Amino acid sequence: MCAEGGEVVSMRKAFAWLAGVLVIAVAGIQFLRPKLANPPVTADLDAPPEVKKILQTSCYNCHSNETKLPWFDRVVPAYWIAARDVKLDRAHLNFSEIGKPPAAQQKAALYESVSQIELGAMPLPDYRRVHPESVIHPEELAALKSYLTPAVPLPPSTQNEISAADAQYEKWIQAAGATPAVSPAPNGIAFLSDYKNWKAISSTDRFDNHTMRQILGNDIAVQAIAENHIDPWPDGAAFAKVAWLEQVDDKGSIRPGAFFQVEFMIRDSKKYAETLGWGWARWRGLELTPYGKDANFTSECVGCHRPLAGTNYVFTPPIRGQL
Amino acid sequence: MRPLTRRLCFLNASLIVCAAGCASDGPKITATFNQGAALVGELPMNPLAWRVISSAIDPGSGTMSTLYGNDAAVTYARTHSQHDFPAGSALSLVTWTQMEDARWFGAKLPSQVKSVEFVTVTATQNGAPQYSYEAYTGNPLKKAQDRPYGAPPDRIAYLLSSPAAVMP
Repeated sequence: MCAEGGEVVSMRKAFAWLAGVLVIAVAGIQFLRPKLANPPVTADLDAPPEVKKILQTSCYNCHSNETKLPWFDRVVPAYWIAARDVKLDRAHLNFSEIGKPPAAQQKAALYESVSQIELGAMPLPDYRRVHPESVIHPEELAALKSYLTPAVPLPPSTQNEISAADAQYEKWIQAAGATPAVSPAPNGIAFLSDYKNWKAISSTDRFDNHTMRQILGNDIAVQAIAENHIDPWPDGAAFAKVAWLEQVDDKGSIRPGAFFQVEFMIRDSKKYAETLGWGWARWRGLELTPYGKDANFTSECVGCHRPLAGTNYVFTPPIRGQL
Repeated sequence: MRPLTRRLCFLNASLIVCAAGCASDGPKITATFNQGAALVGELPMNPLAWRVISSAIDPGSGTMSTLYGNDAAVTYARTHSQHDFPAGSALSLVTWTQMEDARWFGAKLPSQVKSVEFVTVTATQNGAPQYSYEAYTGNPLKKAQDRPYGAPPDRIAYLLSSPAAVMP
């Protein structure tokens, strides 16, 4: 301590005054409370008790209508953050209403949740630190995965599914490579009709939603793979992920059925700085209908890809050797 | 340094340490290639340089395949439902074992290459099509002396009769 006696006294006074003002201010803002109600549980998750318990403990506080805030989250300003986050989180995934959409969509939400948990993105790292009881332990993650892993092989495709795929194929063959007029995505990205001539960098078998996919890369992407420049990917690199419904024959073998969608990631670190440095777009069906009501559809893409900061937000580990 | 400043400095430092050290509790995911799935060995042609015609999954054997074609083969397959590929066409079926996708629960990816098959179409002097078949197996890939997938005519028919996957 090198300060003079008088200086210490005046500093103490200043501190006491400041502390007083703070106490009054903090007490005052406690009355500024946005409404955070628990609406009725209308279509709660239907899952075995051991699975449900894990999700209730770790996810329900933000992703259900059964939010139970601990005392320290009820104190403003923490309460403001909690109220805002719970509203956003419920809009994205709400276990109290998950029974409402079609079964396939419910399942997709659960698979996405498990992927986010496995990547360490959920529960949010900041949330986990303050709420250690929400941490999902390896054996709990294993229980969630085993609940979702299909126990029986896919049944053969129905005659209706096969006829629909055949009709689509005939129409496409008849068009003989003519590109239909395609509307741009709601964020302004134009359809890249040459994607089908890009080179394959991987494929995926999506047993979560019964689609099979090819991941194709444009010339810049393929060059980047050859030169080991994928962290980050160079501007101009683009990927197309083409998805088909899995068509299953009597022996259980699977081949592409109806074309389902093609989605794009287009790298431009400046132009698309607000969406992780990538432009996102998706078109569905043989008619190539743009996906998304408005430009905000990209929040879905970004939400799913965000945990992959370590790979420049790309899921696919590329296979090398195209050049 | 005055005590208050010193205290603030300490608080600041601990905040910085926390921001750097406590934020990443997830598994470390880095930009890597799928090294195991690369086609290593002595192949007469490189199917990965071609374009995709179709693909297949065999859950029974836990494998997934992609059918590639050179320009002649792809152009034909995408505009014809028949199987009379013109001379100069080359098709290749690459088959991998599968592995779980570490980045997406619910997906399987190519793991190790199991085989690479080729069908090439040439024309005889009188213009009739002529088909040849080769299979490569092992790690590194070597021309198979046995018939890993059965009689060549059956494999030629299988590769040529796979309809192109719809890519509008």
